[in-house]
Amino acid sequence: MLAAATPIASQFPGREIRVALAGNPNCGKTSLFNALTGARQHVANYAGVTVERRSGSCSLGDNLIEVVDLPGTYSLSSYSPEERVAQDELTAAPDVVVVVVDSTQLQRHLVLLGQLMQTGVRLVLCLNMADEARGAGQKLDLALMEKLLGFPVVETVGHRAQGVAALKEAIARVVAAAPAPSRLVLGETMDEALAAIRPHLPSTTGAIFASDWMATRLLLDDHYYAGRMAGLPGGPVALEQARQQRERIQARTGLDIAVFVSGCYYGFAQGLLREVCTQPCRPNARQLTDRIDAVLVHRWFGLPIFALVMYAIFWLTFKVGEIPMGWIELGMQWLGGLVGGLWPADSPSLLRSLLVDGAIAGVGGVIVFLPNIVLLFLGLAFLEDTGYMARAAFLTDRLMHRFGLHGKSFIPMLSGFGCSVPGIMATRTLESHRDRVITMLVLPLMSCGARLTIWMLLIPAFFPPAWRAPMLWFIYAVGIGLALLLALLLRKTLMRGDDSPFVMELPPYRLPTLRSVPIRMMERSGLYLRKAGTTILGISILLWAATSFPRPPSHAIAAVAAASVSSVAKAAAKTAEPAPPSPEELGKQAAAEKLEYSVAGRIGHGLEPVFKPLGFDWKIVTAMIGAFAAKEVFVAQMGIVYSIADGDKGSEGLRRVLARDYSPLVGFSLMLFLLIGMPCMATVAVTRRESGKWSYALLQLGGLTALAYISSLLVYQIGKLIV
Amino acid sequence: MAPAANGVEEQEISSSLEDYLETIYLLVQEQGFARVKDVARARDVKAASVSIALRKLAELALVRYERREYIALTPDGEKAGRRVFSRHRLLTRFFEEVLSMKSEAASEQACAMEHSLTDEAMVRLVRFFEFLGTCPSVVESFRQCPLARDGKAALSDVSRACTMCSKKSEEASMSLAELRPGQGATVAKIGATGALRQRLLDMGVLPETPIEVERVGLGGDPFWVRCQGARLALRRNEASSIMVHAVVETASK
Repeated sequence: MLAAATPIASQFPGREIRVALAGNPNCGKTSLFNALTGARQHVANYAGVTVERRSGSCSLGDNLIEVVDLPGTYSLSSYSPEERVAQDELTAAPDVVVVVVDSTQLQRHLVLLGQLMQTGVRLVLCLNMADEARGAGQKLDLALMEKLLGFPVVETVGHRAQGVAALKEAIARVVAAAPAPSRLVLGETMDEALAAIRPHLPSTTGAIFASDWMATRLLLDDHYYAGRMAGLPGGPVALEQARQQRERIQARTGLDIAVFVSGCYYGFAQGLLREVCTQPCRPNARQLTDRIDAVLVHRWFGLPIFALVMYAIFWLTFKVGEIPMGWIELGMQWLGGLVGGLWPADSPSLLRSLLVDGAIAGVGGVIVFLPNIVLLFLGLAFLEDTGYMARAAFLTDRLMHRFGLHGKSFIPMLSGFGCSVPGIMATRTLESHRDRVITMLVLPLMSCGARLTIWMLLIPAFFPPAWRAPMLWFIYAVGIGLALLLALLLRKTLMRGDDSPFVMELPPYRLPTLRSVPIRMMERSGLYLRKAGTTILGISILLWAATSFPRPPSHAIAAVAAASVSSVAKAAAKTAEPAPPSPEELGKQAAAEKLEYSVAGRIGHGLEPVFKPLGFDWKIVTAMIGAFAAKEVFVAQMGIVYSIADGDKGSEGLRRVLARDYSPLVGFSLMLFLLIGMPCMATVAVTRRESGKWSYALLQLGGLTALAYISSLLVYQIGKLIV
Repeated sequence: MAPAANGVEEQEISSSLEDYLETIYLLVQEQGFARVKDVARARDVKAASVSIALRKLAELALVRYERREYIALTPDGEKAGRRVFSRHRLLTRFFEEVLSMKSEAASEQACAMEHSLTDEAMVRLVRFFEFLGTCPSVVESFRQCPLARDGKAALSDVSRACTMCSKKSEEASMSLAELRPGQGATVAKIGATGALRQRLLDMGVLPETPIEVERVGLGGDPFWVRCQGARLALRRNEASSIMVHAVVETASK
């Protein structure tokens, strides 16, 4: 290592070596990346697309290696955002590209190597999962392979961090040497075509634009690069040459150009393996995976087993998650008390209220879901790393496809029953942007855990015991049904277009490593916390302001309190059970009047005519504004509006008041509205983040609310006629 | 050497005797008779050598060689002569028409080969040749193949260069979606375009690769196939864009 350090240092004085890891999905690239960089990594999003850019660093002698983990791609075409991102990283000319391949799948994985050899960058071939291949009896002549390829070939076992030192050493070797001319053999027909196009490629715009790879892209009529090439000097000539060569090849071989070119790469991989592979993998080496699949994807047992697996994950997420959630709640209360304690008990300090009721309560209400998110992602990372996720998509695709969704949409939507936020974050497993957006948009219709607290308040308030369980079931069913119908509607209108191809590799089962799962889990949690600290903090403060301002003048409070006392007395007189209001109740009364006086209360009043046709009065509307912060806040807000002590403890009292003031029809209309409309601010914020556009988030907010309004309106108005 | 039963003796006579039989057969066909000097001229040998050979053939009861001038074939002799000649003609045509050799070289090569082919090999070669006769496009596309022209093409060029074949198999083949679990086939053509085609190619679904349906989801969708060692899931829609031929049962159950 030290010996290697000197030549690199002279080559790269005082700057880091930029290394890109390229490879097919499921080649173990990420675990190798983790092994290389350890905890020194950084995850960001590529601008404009929701593809993660994962980078990290490690040291090599005196130099620093800056490693970028390219998204897993099967080839360097430009159909998917991942592929485009990978290409753009390559056009940025990294110093070395490490091509990671699954040693047990060499023939298919070497295709990408062939494409990269055309780009002219310095390469290192990394035969990952070398242990598995060796176990399956594969023997490779590595020395001959290096000789034939002209660059270093290293065997690694990424998840055990084996071969990392050798990989670094190979990077050092290849960086120090001059780039070797490519020894790629693609066949005569292809060579002729490339030779015809090559001289016309522009030489001034960077090496990659003059490479054989670019010539191949043009030959393939890749619109992405054809478009970029058209504007370059000499570009049109190159394009014309490419067109002629394309036609020549197609006429001569009778093959479509894409099929022909792929055949060339496979021919290269086959040829290379014929030379260097002295003994191939035993064909039955992967039988374990087949045996597991015989059970897990069984024609009849597959779905029940999947249901059990998901049940186990949800149990873990929401049952086990309750324990740390309790701690966080306590912690937040303690923090609120601590901050609040800086002021005297009855201080009307605005700052105190802002910090305690706005910031701490608002962000706390969101952070409290962190254990859910961590645990759900722990479960999902486990499913994904073992390879079961792809099987789940296989099992559910038929159902999902009927509604214009994808098999991979199923798990995110299921997660939505727990909380929409992790559900939306889980849509990242979907490859097509359109599928991803549709899933995100309809996901809030899956009745989340927070809404369960609302159903727990409302259903017993309005429905007799025999109806309660069916009612709860019905609400969930309405949510699922609407989600699927809405997905279908979106597919037919705004998100029109051909189905994204459902061609998915089902990787062999692998045990996830202790290293990769926590890293992935921490990433997701970090994203969530950052969101809680920024957007959600802002909205919380806004909502706090809306429910606190303007404050009624103190004399008004007194008057209101007095008025309330008299009204309560009247009410008490009616029930023939006179009880003087306690000071505590007076405080609640004051809080209720304060809320009514605030912007939120005024909005509630102002919007009352709009919501009257749905059967809602200003109290409900005001409480719903709070529900935007978090759905379960609705219960607390109703408590405040009705001056009933703490929503949870006093839910019996609140239920009685609700049953007194509203008919079951209004109750049902309200449940529908809360189910469908107004996804909470965390959902909207995370939709904005994951879809990359505010317009999708606002469409979700506006569209669902409009749908909720129409549904409740129809139910209430038609119901009124019947009842 | 005792004269044995007919069938066996035909195989036991030497190449040169077979050549003589062939020559005599040809002369008789062409001019109605064959004399020693005709045979000697045709085969470019001395009359004495012809006489020795004729005596051997007479011993084997393949020719009648009583009068000093004319040679007559016995029915067995005629059969043997016709057999050798038809082999010669077929092989010559094969070298000439299929492998594009010059006619002289083709005839010479046929002479060398006509004796050593077993009857079984010959029958099969005849069948193959007859097949080529019914399907001239095969010969045509073989000629177009770069390997046939100058022997310098890469494997990838060769196996996929056959225009006629891909057209023919397109007509004759069925789609992957028509296979049942446990059936395998060879990919003939990928009907898809754009992203789907590229994805399939990237996954290793190329013309001339074997593909096998391992299971199908409940209700007949999606398909679970294996190709080049990878397990792939694809919808019926995608599967029906992959044309296959040469369907075989592969289920080990």
